[in-house]
Amino acid sequence: MTKNDDSMEISYPPCQAACPILTDAREYIQRIAERRYEEAFNSVRKLNPLPGVCGRICTHPCEAACKRGQVEEPIAIAALKRFASDGPWTGQYKAVLPDKPTGHKVAVVGSGPAGLSAAQDLALFGHQVTIFEGLPVLGGMLRVGMPGYRLPKDVVDEEIRSIADLGVEIKTGVRIGEDFTISDLFDQGYQAVFLAIGAHKDRKLGVPGEEGLEGVVSAVSFLREVNQGENPEVGKSVAVIGGGNTAVDSCRSACRLGAREVHMIYRRGSEEMPAAEEEIREAIQEGVQISYLTSPVEILGKDGKVSALKCIKNELGKPDVSGRRSPKPIPGSEFTLDVDMVIAAIGQAPDSSLIADDVGVTERRKRIIVDGPYTLVTTQPGVFAGGDAVTGPATAVEAISAGKRAAISIDLYVRGKPVPTTEAPKAHETASLPQRLIDRTKTFARSRKASISVDQRLKGFDEVDLVFSEEAATKEALRCLHCYLGAKVDTEKCVSCLTCVRVCPLGIPTTSKMGEITIDAYLCQACGVCVLECPVRAIDINLGSRGEIAQHIEEAISSSKQPGPAIVGFFDLHGNFASKDVESLAQDYPNILPLMVFGLRRLDTSDILKAFEYGADGVFLAACQPDRDPFPKETERVKQRAAHARTLLEALGIDGGRLEIFDMPQEGLVEKESVAEMIQRLGNSGQARSA
Amino acid sequence: MITLEEKKLEEIEKMTKSCGRLLVLGCETCAAMSFAGGQRQVAELASAIRVGRKQSEDQGEVVEDSIARQCEPEFVDLIGDKVAECDAVLSLACGAGVQLLAERFPDKVVLPGCNTSFLGVTEELGVWSERCAGCGNCILDKTAGLCPIARCSKQLLNGPCGGSMNGKCEISKEVDCVWQMIIDRLTRLNRLEMLEEIFPVKDWTPAGHGGPRKMVREDLKT
Repeated sequence: MTKNDDSMEISYPPCQAACPILTDAREYIQRIAERRYEEAFNSVRKLNPLPGVCGRICTHPCEAACKRGQVEEPIAIAALKRFASDGPWTGQYKAVLPDKPTGHKVAVVGSGPAGLSAAQDLALFGHQVTIFEGLPVLGGMLRVGMPGYRLPKDVVDEEIRSIADLGVEIKTGVRIGEDFTISDLFDQGYQAVFLAIGAHKDRKLGVPGEEGLEGVVSAVSFLREVNQGENPEVGKSVAVIGGGNTAVDSCRSACRLGAREVHMIYRRGSEEMPAAEEEIREAIQEGVQISYLTSPVEILGKDGKVSALKCIKNELGKPDVSGRRSPKPIPGSEFTLDVDMVIAAIGQAPDSSLIADDVGVTERRKRIIVDGPYTLVTTQPGVFAGGDAVTGPATAVEAISAGKRAAISIDLYVRGKPVPTTEAPKAHETASLPQRLIDRTKTFARSRKASISVDQRLKGFDEVDLVFSEEAATKEALRCLHCYLGAKVDTEKCVSCLTCVRVCPLGIPTTSKMGEITIDAYLCQACGVCVLECPVRAIDINLGSRGEIAQHIEEAISSSKQPGPAIVGFFDLHGNFASKDVESLAQDYPNILPLMVFGLRRLDTSDILKAFEYGADGVFLAACQPDRDPFPKETERVKQRAAHARTLLEALGIDGGRLEIFDMPQEGLVEKESVAEMIQRLGNSGQARSA
Repeated sequence: MITLEEKKLEEIEKMTKSCGRLLVLGCETCAAMSFAGGQRQVAELASAIRVGRKQSEDQGEVVEDSIARQCEPEFVDLIGDKVAECDAVLSLACGAGVQLLAERFPDKVVLPGCNTSFLGVTEELGVWSERCAGCGNCILDKTAGLCPIARCSKQLLNGPCGGSMNGKCEISKEVDCVWQMIIDRLTRLNRLEMLEEIFPVKDWTPAGHGGPRKMVREDLKT
């Protein structure tokens, strides 16, 4: 859980705590909600060198941890990351290199996600980095393992280019253990080596017929050919053995290459299947037939070619070491599938024959031994290792994480500093929400990614998923419950008036007998109502704080140089508008000074008065449609405060018509007629005043 | 708590007109809880006065501050420097606070921004009602915890009167007859016989009718 008992510890929101590289998803989600897409991208990019890759193929542990998931469905965080990384605004990003290079040389072996992220971070530390890649193409498994319909090659290329732009030297087609050795690297003046060679060697099925028959291939080599555009020939009927993402990738690639029938053979049940649910669903749509609880027994051949696959049905026995129930063959349940191709996708291991002379590897799975998951120090001084080569096949984001950790260790090492052994942080589980809170939380359906039609998909390797539209992305981002951005009580100022306890729409603040108020930062959804209503201003908030609102009002008015009336328009970010609507408002109605707020409910009478105090001639509040508002009842209260403000203005002899409330339209920021009328009216009265 | 109500803006504008540099001073206890004098109200009122001054071209800066309680000299003295820089102080405290300010700052114009109402309870957010008249001689033990001095329109000690109709007071259908409530509650507690004892004529001296009240605790004095 991210709610820490030890208050000294930083409280990460669940999404961030769940991410191997601690991506601040909450931050970029918020920027998207604010229609500040370039900042959203910068937020992703500052930590992650492969945002477009992760936006597409990350296994998004953040979504599993998301608090919203306990209400209806988690925020589509990965799809939002892709949205942030796919727009025209990404070109503006510039990483800042240190003024002076350190002069240290580091070799990175392998250009997969681990190698690339290490290379980037090392370059940012000021070191001279060279990547050595065995294949003719860069990207490791991202490039040769991941089919283009999931991860287009140009996305990988583009992101690698931005890493190369940092001055990273890249050598392709040079294979460690064949073209050079680790000691060669040290001889060439490299002070440290990062081994990120991945796990590219398929495990064998271990059934008769596997060797010697034409039509039996390993998934890794099959996908490598596919992804290098070699269009390998596939059979009419293909059996893919395995239940992971590589198996699904092989099935779906075979479908695209013209296989009429594709069978996926998995030894356990659907519950145990490790492949991503979405991938399985799409595979089925594309015609893949899945045989659960089935194991291969023998590959049968005719004339040296595969002719059939003999299988046996399993039942599930007791859980094995992995915690999954292990399959047990049912005697007499053998059957035969007529296939002419068998693809083995039952796991990969590092090809450690390439480096086993130099660094220690594990006995059974041949993974490179490191002294701890945080230092990544191997058995040879100056040599570090990470990614699949250490962990076995894992996710891209775990590899990126390893690359980043390696960069820190290597940086310390080349500068002659000790590499401290840090413990991996304890895994946090998202704390469960009380039922009463779930009941009081308004639900909003998760935005669905659009995808191309099955017919279109099967014609080639076009990307299946489309990027979110701006509308879908902003709507999705606005579903965020803002964990840990909510209300904080300053106990020194609090007078125990209980207002927060009384106004909270979710019932989160509690009081002790002596009036000590507690607001649970994890449960609070940062609606801001208590912050505003607190009569002694003892509550602050990290999302749209009172100080921020006041500052924005002042800045907006002082920056306005437009002739004619200055009208402050408060817009609810929950409205359905696009960034271009903001631009066109500024263009068409420069007299409107727009201020975006996370809910009009945050505005107090004094905010409205402040606008007048700073020199506004008029103020309007633009309320979003109630069905888009997570707290519509609380928004109603702002109308009462506006009425109060109007009474005060009239008491001062100011026309109450200078303060208006508009409803935001179904699409866009505001009905243009209403604003035009207000500008004209206030313009006229302004002239009357000055006359 | 003591309940307060902010004065109408028209009245405040009039009293603060042409008084130069003005300090709007909040009181963060009862006045804040009444939403009449905490920092939130100070900000709102100060802003409104500034808007008004701008409109009427009245000169003078409006500054904001707040102290925990304006009825305590130590707190009041902490604001002395700020008060010295101003021409007038608009106090958002109860009458006691306003007067202590006037006492501590003998040469300063001190103005009341609130009307002091009553000793009462919060019924719900934004709703307060009177419960105690501060009469100096509590009889709640004999009236089932319901005070006829504070809550009977006639302050009757041996009610109800003939104006009690269906549990309501004759002055308004909105007002409960407290004597009906006393009888109902004593019945429920099985203590109705307590009403057989007739209250003697009330001595109003402790209520202040014998002149301004002062309380001295010799054991606490230093």
